[in-house]
Amino acid sequence: MSQVHLGIWKDWRLHVIVFLIVVFAEFIGTHEFSVGPGVVLLLPMLYALLIGLGLYFTPAVKEKQSKNAEPLIVLGVTLLIAKIGVVIGPSLPQIIEAGPALLLQEFGNLGTILLALPLAVLLGLKRESIGMTHSVAREPNVGLIMDKYGFNSPEGRGVMAIYIFGTVFGAVFMGLIAGFLATLTPLHPLSFAMASGIGSGSMMAAASGSLIGSFPEFENDIIAFAGASNLLSLSTGLYMSMLIGLPLTEKMYQLMTRNKAGKGQS
Amino acid sequence: MLKNIQEWIILLSIFAVVSLAANWIGYDVMPLSALPGMLVLVVICLAGLIIQRALPYKIPSVAYIAIIGILASMPWMPGSSTVVAWTSEVQLLALTTPILAYAGIAIGRSWTDFVKLGWRTIVVAMFVLLGTFLGSALIAEVVLRFQGII
Repeated sequence: MSQVHLGIWKDWRLHVIVFLIVVFAEFIGTHEFSVGPGVVLLLPMLYALLIGLGLYFTPAVKEKQSKNAEPLIVLGVTLLIAKIGVVIGPSLPQIIEAGPALLLQEFGNLGTILLALPLAVLLGLKRESIGMTHSVAREPNVGLIMDKYGFNSPEGRGVMAIYIFGTVFGAVFMGLIAGFLATLTPLHPLSFAMASGIGSGSMMAAASGSLIGSFPEFENDIIAFAGASNLLSLSTGLYMSMLIGLPLTEKMYQLMTRNKAGKGQS
Repeated sequence: MLKNIQEWIILLSIFAVVSLAANWIGYDVMPLSALPGMLVLVVICLAGLIIQRALPYKIPSVAYIAIIGILASMPWMPGSSTVVAWTSEVQLLALTTPILAYAGIAIGRSWTDFVKLGWRTIVVAMFVLLGTFLGSALIAEVVLRFQGII
């Protein structure tokens, strides 16, 4: 954000389009439907993302608008962070009390290795799976993999693939599953609130937004815990994957592919 | 620096106007009653952006912005109750709608990359996000229960 792209405010076409999208999305409002015992929440922000994406393929949005929109996401996230800050402030005593849970749930990011790596190997992906599953593949993790394996390595392609998916559909996906899992499983909404902070502003917003929609009685606690957890993830995420995530993924990958090779021989 | 500050003010104002509309239509808060809170948030953002530029450390501006927000609303800070009362009129979800609208327009350009990914990648990607989310929630649940918070 320090490098400001001067003159973006003059792109009235972009701002008017966004204004119309937002008005339209908010006008449709929040809708929910049940799938089994869980509830899926459709929030205005999800329509806004999909309408924006759709409009890119119409003459209404040109390449220029799409480029100018990018720094504005970052600016919007700063406003969101300011809002989260003023919700964290009054809840500070509670957050300090819940501190150990906040710190320890950062290790939950390793859940991605345990769940997704075996699946990737099972689907026949090779070393791509290391880049794909060592973390949630946000910017710092992409940097780490590129630094270690290079841009044109299988690991590099893997991390980029997940990065692209997360960029395009991460917020929608997190928004849809957060409320659903919180209503489906016996886990407490506050645990899911902490889990929402995975180190991406838009995914955190979508996931915690769905939680607020499903559990409005916990609104401020959800914002405060998700926000605090996201800030923690942003500052520790890189070290987490550098020191624990990536070495663990390498080890597990070697173990799993060795077993597979052994079976193939017998 | 001065040019940047002007640019930030104009862009944040545009963002504020769109969010106030979302706040009105989606959450029934009249723009006038949400305006003081929105101004407080814009000022916090500006302060964070300016501090980030003025100090030599390489810390992202969101870190400063979060800290300023927390400091301004801590219970033992004078005037914090006003800050909290005003900003509580600005719904979090009203801020996220414009962010994701800009995001939708921006990610259109990644669409061709996305189409090339193939179904295996998409399955793995969903499990990557699911794994983090469930893993963190499980640990948080155990620790929060152990502490007797939930």
